[in-house]
Amino acid sequence: MTLRKLIRVTTIAGTLLYCAAAVAQTPAPSPKRPAPPVKVGRAGADKLPAAPQVVTIIHRLNALKMFRLLLRSEQYVQSVDALDSVFNLMDDVHTNVIAGLAMDDGTIAAWLPEAEVELGPPDMAPLLPVAPRAPKPPRASRFGVVDVPDITVIGPEGKRLAAKYVGLDVVTGLSILRLVNKNAVQAVALTDEPLHTGATVLLFSPEPVANIPGAQAMLRGNLYARMGAIEGRIRDVMPAPSGGVARFKMSAPKLSRANIGGVAVNEAGETIGIVDGLVEGNEASILPAALIRRAAQRVLEQQASVPRPWLGVKGEAITALNLDQIQNHGWELQRAEALAGKHRGILLTSVAPDSPAAKASLKAGDVILKVDDKEIQTADDFTWWLEQAGPSSLVEFTVARPDQPAEDSLNVRLSGLLYPAVLSFNLRTRFPKTRTSSLMEQGIETIALKPPVATQLGTTAGLLVVYVEPSTAASEAGLQPGDVIQSIDGKPVSAFKPPAQPTSFTFEIFRNKEKLVVVVPAKKN
Amino acid sequence: MRKNICGVVRKELDELMLDEACSSSAAAHLRECAGCREFHQQQTKLRQIVGSLGTVSAPADFDFRLRARLASDSSSVAYLQFARRGFALATVLLVFATGAFLVRNVMDRPASPPEEVVSSSPQPAIPESSKQVEVSGAKEFQGNPGPQPVASKPEKRPQTIRNEQALLAASRTPRRLIAKDSSSTGAEVMRVKEAENAFEAFPLDAALDSFKVSLDDGRGNARTISVPTISFGSQRMLQTSNQLAPKRAW
Repeated sequence: MTLRKLIRVTTIAGTLLYCAAAVAQTPAPSPKRPAPPVKVGRAGADKLPAAPQVVTIIHRLNALKMFRLLLRSEQYVQSVDALDSVFNLMDDVHTNVIAGLAMDDGTIAAWLPEAEVELGPPDMAPLLPVAPRAPKPPRASRFGVVDVPDITVIGPEGKRLAAKYVGLDVVTGLSILRLVNKNAVQAVALTDEPLHTGATVLLFSPEPVANIPGAQAMLRGNLYARMGAIEGRIRDVMPAPSGGVARFKMSAPKLSRANIGGVAVNEAGETIGIVDGLVEGNEASILPAALIRRAAQRVLEQQASVPRPWLGVKGEAITALNLDQIQNHGWELQRAEALAGKHRGILLTSVAPDSPAAKASLKAGDVILKVDDKEIQTADDFTWWLEQAGPSSLVEFTVARPDQPAEDSLNVRLSGLLYPAVLSFNLRTRFPKTRTSSLMEQGIETIALKPPVATQLGTTAGLLVVYVEPSTAASEAGLQPGDVIQSIDGKPVSAFKPPAQPTSFTFEIFRNKEKLVVVVPAKKN
Repeated sequence: MRKNICGVVRKELDELMLDEACSSSAAAHLRECAGCREFHQQQTKLRQIVGSLGTVSAPADFDFRLRARLASDSSSVAYLQFARRGFALATVLLVFATGAFLVRNVMDRPASPPEEVVSSSPQPAIPESSKQVEVSGAKEFQGNPGPQPVASKPEKRPQTIRNEQALLAASRTPRRLIAKDSSSTGAEVMRVKEAENAFEAFPLDAALDSFKVSLDDGRGNARTISVPTISFGSQRMLQTSNQLAPKRAW
């Protein structure tokens, strides 16, 4: 061997040894982990899938849905004064991007912040027990299918996956979707393993992409997003009154509202929960896996949105009140001291008229001590046990009353509420016996248009129909979202007063700048 | 000197064709040298014998067989070269693998026994309840070895949390295997960057301009709302009622 050859071989061997040292410092794949043989990485990189169960949900709202949302806002909205000149009712005006959790049966759970816009009109008579609703069939119109939420699911590889919206679980705030192809996402089982304070959590939530290396040309003029991840630690595990975990908290340095709805995954890649709120500081509240599963089960059983149980009361835990506050509700000092000493019960501060509570003779000042023999110490306990009972269920309350020395036992039939109680109260008080409430009772939601806006839609003034509840007389008569009602029963909408017992409504409407007449039989109360 | 002349003359004679005359100098030398004369006669006889033989024609596939033979000869040479190179490459790979194995062993060797790890890195105290829950989890695992055994998880923990894992493992006496594995085995967990890179970016065909609308509350109060085109997570665009019931209202 010549000297040149010797030098060459020595150089190659040295380089290889250096590479070997570098390779040896990177962790080797664990032989015990059954890595699924899927490629989820970029550009041909084969690696362990990082939470393939996490998907991205894109929820789009058009202008009509935006008006529905405005009607549900806490601030009163009576009419639309002005709009952008470039305006189309069915144009997308807002897009929400949030994480979703794909489960192994093809179900997706996601905390969509504007999910209520996909529900029917707020129940104007929430006192009746809620019966399971039949699934709403999609309905075609000139705008396309109007009753199907505009939701897109993006898989980990950036592919669009077909899915349909099933319903909202109001107790947890989770929207439940179903993948058309349930094997489209490689789901990882949810884990109910005990949660340990200090354990590492990865939180996945979508974020805008600032730059993709080598893809600047692709980004030009387009908006891109990608699932991001932040690392945090479990800080606090709150046990549920019935056992298990009610919620747990995680802390991370860069938490924001954009992380709400994020999917929390443990180090093994198993789902442990979904973020449902922010706590003070850099802490997030996480809905545990068991409650996610239960929420999905509830909605899938009903094949529709599931309301929260509604009693119709406001109150405060005895442990959170001082003696004066208890006395202010009719309790004598001695009995108030005895009540406070027991550290249990919920003092009712108000009862809604015609509510299940009012029907069961509950009054302000009463203290609910037990629900079905389960003692109530905190407001969370009370909420928990009502939620466990569910809407339409019959529960037994043990009640202490200021004017009655002995405890009383009451049976109460709970109702269900798809919307927060405050919203229903607002709607009832905001539009009592008005044109708006009269139309809402027919399943029609409208917002008034001022002349400049109405002109943009081809008329002079009127009510813009933003929602028509499917399977109602109005829907079957052909009234559609986007129609502008110019007159009702021959009178301008501004002068219309709903009759006491209407038999039908004759609507003169504008659709595509064309005048039509729609007669809707009135709904019998 | 004479020998040199004989060599030159014999070379010339050897190259002569049949019936071809030699040069005058060679002829003069032949007259003088008996040895060369005898050599010339032998060469002439040999040529005459060969010239008297008949013509033999080559087989039709001679050219093909000849080329095939030549090719096979060259491939065997190439095979030998390839075998030599392969042997050299295998040797280099063996050196590479041995080096990797040695370096890995050195890198993964624990710096100190687990007991020393516990004493040298103070960790937050583990609540008693948590310990109890973990022990019960360990019992479940022992009774039900599934496809994803609990005992395999600590192996995936990164080196940065090994000390914490050693502490946890030390607190779980029934799970000696976990303690041993987590303190000495290589790590494999999802890291934030790896996790992020596992997802592809996708385009968002959102509206470009924000939606602006002026509203009236029916009491003469007007306000203009500008709705952002896009939001992430629960960044609600409007101040609407929360999906969940307000606190202290049931």
